[in-house]
Amino acid sequence: MADSAVVHSIDGPSGPKPRKTLSRRNIILYGTLFVVAVYYLIPLYVMLVTSVKGMPEIRMGNIFSLPLEITFEPWVKAWSQACTGLNCDGLSRGFWNSVKITVPSVVISIAIASINGYALANWRFKGANLFFTILIFGAFIPYQIMIYPLVILLRDLGLYTKLPGLILIHTIFGMPILTLLFRNYFTTIPEELFKAARVDGAGFWGIYFRVMMPMSLPIFAVAIVLQVTGIWNDFLFGVIYTKPANYPMTVQLNNIVNSVLGVKEYNVNMAATLLTGLVPLAIYFISGKLFVRGIAAGAVKG
Amino acid sequence: MLTKVQSERLFVGSVALAFVSLILATVGIKSQLFQNIQYLILLFSSLSVIWIGFKAGKFIFITNRLRKQALGWLIAATFSATLWLFAQKDIQLIFPVLKGYRKVWNTFEPFALFATVVCILFALILFIVGSRDSKLVRPGFIERSLVNNLSSKIAALPMVFTAIGVFVIATLWTVYHSFTNSRMLPKSEFVGLGQYERLWSSDRWYISIENLAIYGICSLIFSLFIGFMLAALLDQKTRFENTFRTIFLYPFALSFIVTGLVWQWILNPDYGVQKIVRSLGFDSFVFNPLYDLDIVIYGILVAGLWQGTGFIMCLMLAGLRGIDQEIWKAARVDGIPMWKTYIRIVIPMMRPVFITTLVIIAAGIIKVYDLVVAQTSGGPGISSEVPAKYVYDYMFSAQNLGQGFAASTMMLVSVLIVLIPFAYLEFGRRKHG
Repeated sequence: MADSAVVHSIDGPSGPKPRKTLSRRNIILYGTLFVVAVYYLIPLYVMLVTSVKGMPEIRMGNIFSLPLEITFEPWVKAWSQACTGLNCDGLSRGFWNSVKITVPSVVISIAIASINGYALANWRFKGANLFFTILIFGAFIPYQIMIYPLVILLRDLGLYTKLPGLILIHTIFGMPILTLLFRNYFTTIPEELFKAARVDGAGFWGIYFRVMMPMSLPIFAVAIVLQVTGIWNDFLFGVIYTKPANYPMTVQLNNIVNSVLGVKEYNVNMAATLLTGLVPLAIYFISGKLFVRGIAAGAVKG
Repeated sequence: MLTKVQSERLFVGSVALAFVSLILATVGIKSQLFQNIQYLILLFSSLSVIWIGFKAGKFIFITNRLRKQALGWLIAATFSATLWLFAQKDIQLIFPVLKGYRKVWNTFEPFALFATVVCILFALILFIVGSRDSKLVRPGFIERSLVNNLSSKIAALPMVFTAIGVFVIATLWTVYHSFTNSRMLPKSEFVGLGQYERLWSSDRWYISIENLAIYGICSLIFSLFIGFMLAALLDQKTRFENTFRTIFLYPFALSFIVTGLVWQWILNPDYGVQKIVRSLGFDSFVFNPLYDLDIVIYGILVAGLWQGTGFIMCLMLAGLRGIDQEIWKAARVDGIPMWKTYIRIVIPMMRPVFITTLVIIAAGIIKVYDLVVAQTSGGPGISSEVPAKYVYDYMFSAQNLGQGFAASTMMLVSVLIVLIPFAYLEFGRRKHG
């Protein structure tokens, strides 16, 4: 300690040495970052530009050029007229299906997982850790191995190809990561608070609703962001556990764009793609730091 | 004669067994094995429940408090009885809403009935035991398992169901059926390793594995390298760090379907990159990865990297931020150049972050499915197939379940090969630390 004080005192003027803004180091640093950023932005730009061009212009020009005249027809067409097979009612059906799937799945999975996490963090019982370990292991196991038995389960329940069935599936597969998220968060809440509430006579549910839940609103927000983007972007479960009338937006989008019938309308395809990406993008840009926190929390599995 | 503790354990154990057997039966594991044993277990457990019920008076329990708990079990009994009622035809006639989910109620009917009986029995036991005035001693096994922390156990039921009922049973089910000759429907006719022999002699599977290996190795190396470089660049007290991070990470919010379709469009030979370069004067320029058998997987790799590196960068950035600033100062005092500090000091210190990232990437790679479906649908021909797609196609399009099961079991095995050493490392580290 004494040494460092001496060093500081003979240092002369304190504070870092002022830097030049246009040093070679800075040019390389920001130049690289800028180039990479452009690379990352190109697909978004291409999507946007293509979706407002007319087909003749697409055939003539190149995909990076700005549109000569802007038309919103492809957007309208993608939303309400694009065809999948024989159905020509556009992406709107898929959109509403996705909404009907996402909202209940998010609510149910978060409700269940938060209570699980709370039980694991504060009311641990014998064997709880074993189940938790299995649950976390399940997050890493390829879904493909569990797909078919779940088809049988849903068929027995009469929920196969229906929306409630898909909601159940999302609840099941969202559980590992969400439980981990909530468990880790609840363990950071000081135990004294929990004990104080117990002394005051609150029980399991009392503490959950009156102490834990109000204290952990940020983590609920993180979970919502994580789940909404995750479920909205899901393709595998949607294609397996629903039928064409109930397809979520991603599945329908893929069917529209990759259908072999008819002339390819690239502008409509890109409008449809952008439409599907719009919801998670909006959530991403609005939620900002929460999204980063969510995926970082999701990352520290195990 | 059994001791008190033994009989208590027997009792709780048999009830648990009965639960397991019923769950097995209701979930639809229609194997001969379970069907016969399940009734035996049920008989055995109900007999022992009744027996313990009679004997209960002789055990030592904490009193009165228990009587209150009996009420809780009665409530649970009412709940499951309601569920059972939903399955009854007369009730369904009165409330037509219930009819929509008739199959759900029917599936749970035996389970609900059983649960009702068990709950009433528990309530009775607790009530009888609770009425006796005995001294306050250490809670017995029954109290510890039936009363203590009960809310927590009930609240954790969905987790227990998911962990055991779905993850464990479904996995075992699939592994078991991968040794059968199931085609359209799952059968239990054993063919030994027949499915695996067919799997490994099929070209399509071989190509899938090869693609996955190329995709996996390249995406591991590139995403770790690019992710770390970007994180290191952003860690230089860079201005606009948030803007850059937002830009690098936004693809991760998009689905693989959207990613695949955008890159399909950019790599389109008639309109995309190839056409632009040609229009600049390089007439013989060829760049059509999605239509070239040999390099199609790299076309998919480009899209996958675009989507995922931002995420790796975030993880790396978090790791870099976790490193003590003093280390940088020390390195600078010693005159070590920055790149050397990174390679010699910082990266070794970030070993845990790298291991976690590695496992996350590896677990993600093996699941690759949507991206391929969107970008190439496995084409041209079968040159961009991946194992996950093989599984899906054989299960749901080719009506050859056995192949699908065998392929998914191979996927499981490869994940376990990565996961078990990781779990071992983690576990070992915790034990030492």
